[in-house]
Amino acid sequence: MQVQSEDFIARAADALSDTAASANRRRLGLQLPAQREAAVATFGAFQSLRDHVESVRRHTLQHLDTYLDEFEQQALENGNQVHFARNGEELNQRVLSIIQRHSAKRVAKGKSMVTEETGLNAALEAAGLRVTETDLGEYIVQQAGEQPSHIVAPALHKPEADIRSLFYEKHPLGARDLDTAEDMVAEARRVLREEFLAADIGIIGANALVAESGYSMLVTNEGNGDLCANLPPVLVICTTVDRLLPRLSDAMSMLRLLVRSTTGQPITSYTSFYSGPARDGDIDGPRETHIVLLDNGRSDILASDYRSMLQCIRCGACLNHCPVYVAAGGHAYGSVYPGPMGSVLTPLLTSLEESHTLPNACTSCGRCEEVCPANIPLPQLLRDLRHAENEAQLLPTPVRLGLKAHAWLVQRPQLYRWLSGLFARSLSRLGRTHWLARRVPGMTDYLNTRDLPMPAKETFLAQLQREAENE
Amino acid sequence: MNDARTEIYARIRGTATGASRQDIDSALHGLGSGPSAPLPSIEPCAAFLANVLLQGGSISTARSRKATVQAVAKYLFERHRTHKIAAGHDQRLAALPWRDAGLLPRFGAAGSNDAVSVSFAAAAVVETGSVILLTGKASPAANHLLVEDHIVLVDCEALLSTLDDATEWVGNLRHRPRGIQLISGPSSTADIGMTLVSGAHGPKRWHIILTGEIPAEAEEEARELAGLT
Repeated sequence: MQVQSEDFIARAADALSDTAASANRRRLGLQLPAQREAAVATFGAFQSLRDHVESVRRHTLQHLDTYLDEFEQQALENGNQVHFARNGEELNQRVLSIIQRHSAKRVAKGKSMVTEETGLNAALEAAGLRVTETDLGEYIVQQAGEQPSHIVAPALHKPEADIRSLFYEKHPLGARDLDTAEDMVAEARRVLREEFLAADIGIIGANALVAESGYSMLVTNEGNGDLCANLPPVLVICTTVDRLLPRLSDAMSMLRLLVRSTTGQPITSYTSFYSGPARDGDIDGPRETHIVLLDNGRSDILASDYRSMLQCIRCGACLNHCPVYVAAGGHAYGSVYPGPMGSVLTPLLTSLEESHTLPNACTSCGRCEEVCPANIPLPQLLRDLRHAENEAQLLPTPVRLGLKAHAWLVQRPQLYRWLSGLFARSLSRLGRTHWLARRVPGMTDYLNTRDLPMPAKETFLAQLQREAENE
Repeated sequence: MNDARTEIYARIRGTATGASRQDIDSALHGLGSGPSAPLPSIEPCAAFLANVLLQGGSISTARSRKATVQAVAKYLFERHRTHKIAAGHDQRLAALPWRDAGLLPRFGAAGSNDAVSVSFAAAAVVETGSVILLTGKASPAANHLLVEDHIVLVDCEALLSTLDDATEWVGNLRHRPRGIQLISGPSSTADIGMTLVSGAHGPKRWHIILTGEIPAEAEEEARELAGLT
């Protein structure tokens, strides 16, 4: 997995100066949370649903070897070929060798974050294959030569006008107009329909794997994943070893939680469970099916204090509710997994050295934890990663020394109170003359258009003490 | 690749509790079941039809076999001015009196030139307004995914209350189907400017005809519940 997270601050600054994309993100940050909230209110017992799914996910991870073994046996009985991949490169190699065995040329892909993680498209294209992303958002970012900016809505950063220009540039449109979103969807439908019908191989991901029956669950609104799973003669499902759930009923519970948390719908247009290849007498469906199970660091996470991160169901709610994600956008993170879940997952899947800026892309507001359907303590995990970052001496020296000085001071309460009292009184005096609002070094531009609030005359602790004495 | 399998299993086993299968099963059983969504009405036909409407589908009802084919013909004529329709090799579809409504179904898998297909739902779920289609000869996936208009006939006797009932229903099937599809609306996308557009890849329109002994006021109640009247 390639990461370019070192440049988070520079990329975030670039993103903030792109006003059209910023407006799109602000809309996402308002609309999707509102839709989720309405769905949660209509459901009623949402917290109880969250707690139930969390307990099932924890149980599954606790006994993952048993459930993985059960799934593998069932999937084999269903007629699938099951493969394991330790890392991204192994997955790419395995998929490529399946494709080459069939002398296939054209690949139609459904949306899959796992194959984004492994860089499968680049590996297949380097081998001379034609790979087409068929989820509309993924198709748009593929045509634009970009990366997805959101794990569920990959092209939401792109303004409608940019997509229109992209289609005019890439498609032989003739005299056809693309005035509305409907026109653009119709154009993509026309182009992608040909890809579905001509594809030799379909590649999809899985939202969950059902251990008791070997089924893979696929959740989409477009139906593109289902077309990939049913039209081409060979199907490859790329997923990870932690996607397991024990029973079909658990998948249904997760489905209720996932879709409401993602788009606020009660269910998507298409929810499918696929067991394996077409049977004798079937007039459609793939003749051969493969399931590739990727580890890529998940077994390490399972063995670590960050195990709860594997409860993630990839709904994207933490992204939609994160003030940093909404302001900076997905590309700023330099990783396929952005937002709070990505800021935890990326350092765990790569290394803290490569991506230690990400756990700092957080205001500790706690909204991600409030909305996480899997009850993952995201702010706590981000704090733990920042602690690890400090321990590994990855912070710049002045910041590290500052933190050390702070730690020394807060362990001496009397000195801390005396100094903070002195600081509060000095600030209050400076505030009275308005000096503070005008001449804070390094903040002149910022203060040109803003007033700082008047500093309090005394510290919070001193106020509390006084009130307690008065009572 | 066997090395990969062995290594991954060894790593995961290293984190496992080593509990017996019996203990794992009883721990899982002890977790109970999760809540389902509230239904919009206590009357299942109205509740199902209301959820279909809320999911972007259109509805009609038919109380006899003849009324069913007439409802299909009416839809076909209004939308496409045609009497052609694709249908899977489903015995229940084959047994309908298509000629009474002047229709000519073509039995088999739908292709890109078929504008409309009709399927018979194996079951349907009131909680989500979903139809359950089992892929295979009787209901090829292409018929659900390639056409512009997908008409699904649902026998009101086949209504299941919740997704948990659907799970139980699947568990009681004699054979494990290749694909179990819960379809709950037209193919849609909001990937361009967050504008919801139907017909992303598959059906632009999704029409449900509920058949059988349906309460007289079910359709009207459904429209009221969905806020369409």
